[in-house]
Amino acid sequence: MTFSDGTPCTAVEAAWSINWILENELPAIITYLSNVIKADAIDATTLQITLSQPVNNMISAKLLYVYIMPPHVWQELSAEGIMSYDDPSVTIGAGPYRMTEYQPDEYMILQANENYWRGRPPIDQIIYRQFANDDALIQALLSGEIDLVTAGSLPYSGIAALEADPNIKIDSGQAYQFSELSVNWTPDGTAPASLRDPVVRKAIDLSIDREQIITVAYAGYGQVGNALIPPAMGGFHNTDIGEIPYDITEANRLLDEAGYKDSNGDGIREDKDGNPMEYRLMTDDTTAYNFRIIQIISDGLAQIGISAQPLVESTDSLIARQVDFDYDLIHWEWYVDADPHFLTTVFTCAETQDGGWNDSGYCDPEYDKLVEEQATAPTLEEREQDIWKIQEIVATERPWLMLAYEEAISAYRKDRYEFDPRNPIATLKWALFYGFKKIG
Amino acid sequence: MIRFDYLLKKVLFAIITLSIVVVFNFFLFRILPGDPVKLLFRNPRLTKQVQETIRVQFGLDKPVWINSERLQAGDLAGIFDSQFGAYISNLVQGNLGVSFAQRNSVNKILSERVGRTVLLVFTGEFFAILIGMAVGMVAAWRRGTWADAAALLIGLTTWALPTFFLGIILLVLARGFLPTSGMVEPGLAKEGTLTYWLDVGRHLILPTITLAVGSASAYMLIMRSSVAEVLAEDYILTAKAKGLTTVQILRDHALKNAMLPMITIIALNLSYVVGGAIQVETVFSWPGIGRLVFDSVAKQDYPVLQGAFLLLAVSVILANLITDILYSVLDPRIKAS
Repeated sequence: MTFSDGTPCTAVEAAWSINWILENELPAIITYLSNVIKADAIDATTLQITLSQPVNNMISAKLLYVYIMPPHVWQELSAEGIMSYDDPSVTIGAGPYRMTEYQPDEYMILQANENYWRGRPPIDQIIYRQFANDDALIQALLSGEIDLVTAGSLPYSGIAALEADPNIKIDSGQAYQFSELSVNWTPDGTAPASLRDPVVRKAIDLSIDREQIITVAYAGYGQVGNALIPPAMGGFHNTDIGEIPYDITEANRLLDEAGYKDSNGDGIREDKDGNPMEYRLMTDDTTAYNFRIIQIISDGLAQIGISAQPLVESTDSLIARQVDFDYDLIHWEWYVDADPHFLTTVFTCAETQDGGWNDSGYCDPEYDKLVEEQATAPTLEEREQDIWKIQEIVATERPWLMLAYEEAISAYRKDRYEFDPRNPIATLKWALFYGFKKIG
Repeated sequence: MIRFDYLLKKVLFAIITLSIVVVFNFFLFRILPGDPVKLLFRNPRLTKQVQETIRVQFGLDKPVWINSERLQAGDLAGIFDSQFGAYISNLVQGNLGVSFAQRNSVNKILSERVGRTVLLVFTGEFFAILIGMAVGMVAAWRRGTWADAAALLIGLTTWALPTFFLGIILLVLARGFLPTSGMVEPGLAKEGTLTYWLDVGRHLILPTITLAVGSASAYMLIMRSSVAEVLAEDYILTAKAKGLTTVQILRDHALKNAMLPMITIIALNLSYVVGGAIQVETVFSWPGIGRLVFDSVAKQDYPVLQGAFLLLAVSVILANLITDILYSVLDPRIKAS
């Protein structure tokens, strides 16, 4: 196995790369090497990694994100040198393609790597073009100016036009993404006390029409959400957690029973202190469909006597609110790594501090213990069991209400290319091109 | 002759405006809620320690306005050890800072894009001025006829048409015939060759039309009313009585007098040559300043926005200064007042 320039790529280079990242404390990548002390090459095909404690997700959570780099290019550079290094001519890797030209905001050209270890890839050249406008992107695919729109770039608004064209095929698959509604229930925050009542959170959960969210916001490309870990993560997704029904009657019954009555007849219930049940329901302004989602949620809440006007703010200001626990309900969309570890850590007590990820304020030492256990569980089965338990807790406590698991959707010209769907997860872009074959 | 004190007054005024813009530009982005580091690096892969390093790197660990800690310690020079102090001192040295998102010098990012924007907006404005003035003059001369009515109707319609909407319509219509995005076909030819520039020309067509249609109607409407007003003057009647031809009357007697309001609007529009046409550049993915601004707002890339806004402000102020000077040349009455 060699790099694209023909120099060897073996366990020696892999060990060098890991050690070099550790020594230079490369930002971002270094966190994937937590608990790694050093790497040694026993021989060309054997890599030995020394750890400070047992790690059970070495490949899915760590090595998958650590690059193997050619030492003859990188050993000259220091960590600071890399920050300011901008010579694109030395883009040497061991992947199926190498970048030969790059214009920021415009395009990137990739050429097939003749030395690729699995053989030369079937497509010689890939041109990645960046479109600033969704309509232009759709028109370019319809006219044949481009051949493929990769996952994550296809706007939901253009899907109907593409579905109507006989020469275009839309491909979709499960992805490491989901959307949720965060509920603020820390006593230190500014949210109304009623959100700290599990019955209220359950009623809100039941009032959300998830099917409609999938149809309206995601053009049908998604699954309704229930468990914290998305189904794309395979065995980690807890299938015992049933679908959350859209049940306005039950939600109303729960609130009535718990004593949240509309005593003044204005259509809005009052909480235990006699204040009307009004929540701030927010989302960020990055996409148009975000707003549709909170509109659907708002409609559902209105039917159970809760007033929640949908509000849109910039991501910036929402994050500021989240850090200060100055919100009631926020809808977020997430893109996560392939390993469930990070998601389980979100609800730990530590993450409630210093602007951490725990936006609900939920904190339970028992939960923290489970998170630690899953990280060090010696077998996959035990780890899965822990992660299933974690999802049960999240489903019962409801710091987040899981809304949907969006699919990754891509579209291509089927009059020009055949696609062998060996890689159902379309987000793995480099692998994706292996499935394509030019027609004729 | 331009009077020196008039010129001095105008230049002084421009400098004052610019200094206000420089200060305003800094605070405009600082009053937004949130912490740029939190936002940009809201990434599970970045440890708290790394976030701190980045904060120090970008000087975001320092106080925003003045460093009161060092002032209290009796260190007078240390007052300006703040984000504002660094901003001003960098600016004086012509350094616009480093982009948060691209990790590249803002000077470099802006200078790469300025040329492309100038090319696009200048071409668009050039055709807009030509067409707008010609049609406006004819409409005024033929005032009340069907030609005038048609020019008015088309002019008002295109003027009211949102730019992005017109752009998208053109995009759909020209699908398959003309490129829909970018400035050049990737990998087609080396920069600077004839093939390269011909391809740039092809990519220019749709955005130029979009830009020109909107501007031309504005020029047309102003030209029409301005010429119509002049044509009602007594000296035009005199010229007609002298037996001058239509072309002579329009060119020698009406045009120069009708040009004053035109100069204002042309100068104001040309100041956007640098600032970029955000909508057109975004619809057609033209890699210029306008699109940079659009993208940087989405990425909350403050240094780039600061730099781009400063560039825009400078070009507007300069355009105004030039207009004022041109005005006094064209109309001697103005410098007297």
